[in-house]
Amino acid sequence: MSAPSKELSSPPVSSEARRLFALSAPQVPELHLFQTEQERHLLVVNGSRLFGVDAEAFEALERAQGARDGEAVQRLLKELGVDEAPFIDDAPIESPPIRALSLAVAQKCNLGCTYCYAQQGDFGGPAKNMPLQTALESVDLLLRDVGQGERVNLSFLGGEPLFNRSIIRAATERAVEQARAKGVSLTLSLTTNGTLVNAEDADFFEQHGFAVTVSLDGGQEVHDRLRSFKGGQGSFTRVMENVAPLLARQRQMQVSARVTVTPRNLELRETLDTFVGLGFHSVGFSPMLSSPTGRDEMGHAELELMLEQMVDCGREFERQIIAGRRYPFANMVNAMREIHKGTHRPYPCGAGAGYLGVSASGELAACHRFVGDEEGAMGDLATGVDKVRQARWLTERHVHRQEPCRSCWARYMCSGGCHHEVIQRGRPACDYIRGWLHYCLEAYSRLAQARPDYFGLPPAAG
Amino acid sequence: MKKLDPKNLSAQLHYRASGNPPGTMPASAISNCFPGLEFDFRNVWRRIFVGIELHEADNYVTKTDRGFEHLLHHRLLRVDGHPLVVPVSGPQRPGADPIPLVTSANPEGVTFMEWSNALAEVLHAKAGKKVRCEFTQAESSLPAALPKDKKKVLVVELELRRFFAQGEQGDLAVIAEELAEPGELTQGLCSPWQNDYRECACYYWAASRPDYVSVEQGPQGTSVGINWLQKDRSPEAPQEYVLDNRTDTRLVSYDDLFRHWEESLHFQVEGRDHDAVAVSAGDGGDRDERSE
Repeated sequence: MSAPSKELSSPPVSSEARRLFALSAPQVPELHLFQTEQERHLLVVNGSRLFGVDAEAFEALERAQGARDGEAVQRLLKELGVDEAPFIDDAPIESPPIRALSLAVAQKCNLGCTYCYAQQGDFGGPAKNMPLQTALESVDLLLRDVGQGERVNLSFLGGEPLFNRSIIRAATERAVEQARAKGVSLTLSLTTNGTLVNAEDADFFEQHGFAVTVSLDGGQEVHDRLRSFKGGQGSFTRVMENVAPLLARQRQMQVSARVTVTPRNLELRETLDTFVGLGFHSVGFSPMLSSPTGRDEMGHAELELMLEQMVDCGREFERQIIAGRRYPFANMVNAMREIHKGTHRPYPCGAGAGYLGVSASGELAACHRFVGDEEGAMGDLATGVDKVRQARWLTERHVHRQEPCRSCWARYMCSGGCHHEVIQRGRPACDYIRGWLHYCLEAYSRLAQARPDYFGLPPAAG
Repeated sequence: MKKLDPKNLSAQLHYRASGNPPGTMPASAISNCFPGLEFDFRNVWRRIFVGIELHEADNYVTKTDRGFEHLLHHRLLRVDGHPLVVPVSGPQRPGADPIPLVTSANPEGVTFMEWSNALAEVLHAKAGKKVRCEFTQAESSLPAALPKDKKKVLVVELELRRFFAQGEQGDLAVIAEELAEPGELTQGLCSPWQNDYRECACYYWAASRPDYVSVEQGPQGTSVGINWLQKDRSPEAPQEYVLDNRTDTRLVSYDDLFRHWEESLHFQVEGRDHDAVAVSAGDGGDRDERSE
């Protein structure tokens, strides 16, 4: 366990993160138990099914779980009538159709963030822009086999995509036209560092209802420390000047902030409230688990601090929702939605399946992070998706093939974590993820009781 | 308190309450495949459009709300560009094209496509919105085809109801209340199981029921036996298979089945009526004897 870095000015670790680490530790693969102030709960891992459970059944399950007695666990689940055959089998999905593409329209960047997976924008190669033809062919690939009423997403990433503005516009217009002709529902998104965005971009994004994600790592001081221009000067002032007109214009478009959490910006609550106050549609946090140089990666001690902060943000979310107010803390909004649905899936995302990245020179990759990386190569625009590589990827990346996921209760919620991070660094954040999910399950239970309307549930009887 | 209380949607959808048989689960219910057995699922489509009520298995408007009276007894032919009726044509004969299957009861030779398939796509894209509905211009007690002249239809924009009840975060796991009144999902049930004992032949999927029973092999490889539904089971009864022509009174009738199927029908053990097989008392029942 590494010590928290010196820059850290956060409060010392309290008992909350430790409590969550202890309560969420993996015991048996079939279930997870937890209690809130009001109720005892059973999460049946198969199908992410959440139940309230009486004291007698809870204690019996707890005993079997504590004794790691797999047979007793199975027998109890059977007695409770929740021992269905696995909802997720070992079979990988086969030749999924492409429904989302991200175009690395500019493999270059003007910022010098040390932790960037794209190695300051160029993915470790020469800086380049995607030619028009490549962008248009990508759009054609995305919309080629889509049927009426289906949904597709086209996103623009980089590097900094706005270095290649004209291509974004041309590809968007082509996609909009084709989607309209085919009766396809198209969503558009763009991730930007915010330094180049201008008023005309705002018009364009608003016109097409873009989901714009701005990478922001905190308030001015923190942000400038982590996300400076390559020359060293801070980018915060420029970004906020540029983004303000976008924030003001959100009708069709949604502008969100994405915060990469490193040991140097662990003041999450402050960051969240700042960006919510500025009018971002949502604010989400993601820990830096794998950087090309190893710099700014989060270790166990930092993840413990992050969990503490995430829960602080989550508690505020609970208070605000109970008071009937919107509080767009994206991690929590998403967790509540997925827990409510009972989402259970064998892959953490669509990467290498229905979602692929396209490099500036037209190679297909498992996602935007694998651009130029042989590990995630998936063919190219000229020859199409490499079905052999894709099949191998989908077989190998299935959560049933991952360790230690196979025996973890959180495996169908976490689904093994970001492929890119896992392949680069392994799984250093399991305790953090389980701790966060445990907290989210507790929060779901409290919110479903206090504000069933938030989930569309009928009010509790009496 | 009951042992388990399902909380999230996946738990609600898959939970089988204590004491319920497996068939109460949506995935294992017979009605998942065959409407009309446990409940008649087709009834959920009757009120899928605001303002009118449709027949559960036909495109015929059976009732209307105020303001929609002009649609009563018309037929809904097309929804948002998706046809609800298709022409049916007969078997192809050598050297000839298939002919339209026209009868006096179906003069235009069309068939209505079952609601859930016909509406799935529209429902997915347009639930909660108004959609273009094309009706026959006149009341139409008989099935009607889409007219060749596109103008010869009555066009009304009707709101397509949402299929699932809505929560703040979208669909819940329950069918919307507006789609069916209490009792409607079961009110149209016949007596399906009793009916099916007779209705469906011996290869019917759900009731692989006996057919040719008490069979004796004859010397030339022929056999004699009786129809399982024959009323007279006495040894004196003619050992002859009575063909079911729906009128022969020697066979159990639908009415008999509804009233007392348990007595009219006979379990078969080793090809013979169970109630004609006695277990001899005293020796543990290993040896069966034919009783009187």
